[in-house]
Amino acid sequence: MKHYEPKLVCFSCKFGWGYLADEDELHHRIKNWVPIICSGKIDAIHVLEAFKQGADGVLILGCPEGDCHYQDGNYEARKRVYLVQKILGAYGIEPERLRIELAVDPEGKTIPQMVKDMSDAVAKLGPVKKVKERARTAAMAHR
Amino acid sequence: MAGKSKVAICWLGGCGGCDEAVVDINEVILRVVEAFDIVLWPVAFDFKYDHIERMDDGAITLSVINGNVRNADQEEMAKLLRRKSQLVLAFGACACFGGTPGLANLRTKKDIFDWVYRDAPTVVNPEKNYPKTKVSSNGAVLTLPEFYEQVYPLNQIIDVDYYLPGCPPPPDLIVNAFMAVLEGKLPPKGSTLAPHKALCDTCERNKTKPSRIAIRDIKRIHEVEAQSNTCFLAQGILCMGPATRTGCGETCININIPCRGCFGPVEGVKDAGAKYISALASIIDAEEEKDVKRILDKVNDEVGYLYRFSVPASILRKRRVSEVEEQ
Repeated sequence: MKHYEPKLVCFSCKFGWGYLADEDELHHRIKNWVPIICSGKIDAIHVLEAFKQGADGVLILGCPEGDCHYQDGNYEARKRVYLVQKILGAYGIEPERLRIELAVDPEGKTIPQMVKDMSDAVAKLGPVKKVKERARTAAMAHR
Repeated sequence: MAGKSKVAICWLGGCGGCDEAVVDINEVILRVVEAFDIVLWPVAFDFKYDHIERMDDGAITLSVINGNVRNADQEEMAKLLRRKSQLVLAFGACACFGGTPGLANLRTKKDIFDWVYRDAPTVVNPEKNYPKTKVSSNGAVLTLPEFYEQVYPLNQIIDVDYYLPGCPPPPDLIVNAFMAVLEGKLPPKGSTLAPHKALCDTCERNKTKPSRIAIRDIKRIHEVEAQSNTCFLAQGILCMGPATRTGCGETCININIPCRGCFGPVEGVKDAGAKYISALASIIDAEEEKDVKRILDKVNDEVGYLYRFSVPASILRKRRVSEVEEQ
């Protein structure tokens, strides 16, 4: 398969990842980086919507086990990821395209490498197939 | 006759249960017939489609369309009724979200045809005949509507004014919908003619819900004897109540069956299955990965459970297939 640059979305918890870093600089190095407060904030809808809008992979970075600022947000995120992976599989999107890592890196130095590693893994899978949408035709004009 | 409002009731890709539900409004149907001229209702009366075609555009006050769109015939009918109607009501889960037949969006058209016309054990088809849209025989040309790659809810084909979900919609909401049209008391366009809250908000069993549900083992309804007055989720039985719109009258709950989600997502939510994932994850009482997997692996066919009525209206809509698979 021809090599291509996969579109990756990376959500990371601000309590564990890159809070000491220069955010602008990191944004420059990581495309589609979405720092949020607590990985438990990421709803299944956000992940599915990312794939719908053309993402080839989604990486979620949460805090280490037992270290969530809100007690168990990272565990919640991990449980959701497991369920969403099953749903993705049924829709023909490889479950490996969604990954969660629970660790900590205040300076965020490892994030670009993690994104790259995942991007390489996703590149092997190729792009997510698009569903051909039918054009809404004449009848829609009647309003 | 001329002054009466006209109503059309039509059946696309559905089981006919929605037409049955209209009859189930019992004697109120007499009031409906008094107030409206029924100009089309294939399940009950012998009207011809060309009668509809000859009508002026917008001549029908209300078209009640049930069922989804899976083939060219259904699409044509949906578009014809849209053109002739001032209002279109998507009636029932299939019209609103694709319904149970929408689960077919997890298979390709080829998979379906191969199974139905070749591989199913009951099929005898030595000549390997598959349906064709056009066939000539002794000089005559026979046609069939094209079977589409996927199932569409009504609003992906035509503009829909109102929605009334349910499998089928309950009589009280059907009567309300007809009356709202008659009295001109309709909510803003695009509204769902049902309450906005989740089923749990109106469920009798909500009182028995502990302050924090903690599921350590998921049970299937046929595997256990479910208590008839306790929250299903508190018993470890999956119930779609938290992510499903209420208005059904809790008919399933009342016969001790958990909610399956036929009323679709609550107001403001697009994808009920995704919301349910978040709700379910938070009540699974496990933190270690292996425990989470042990508990969640007991769910048999996750997508079939979470999206039983709504695959075509879900965020992802349809299974992605490679071009090789598609041919």
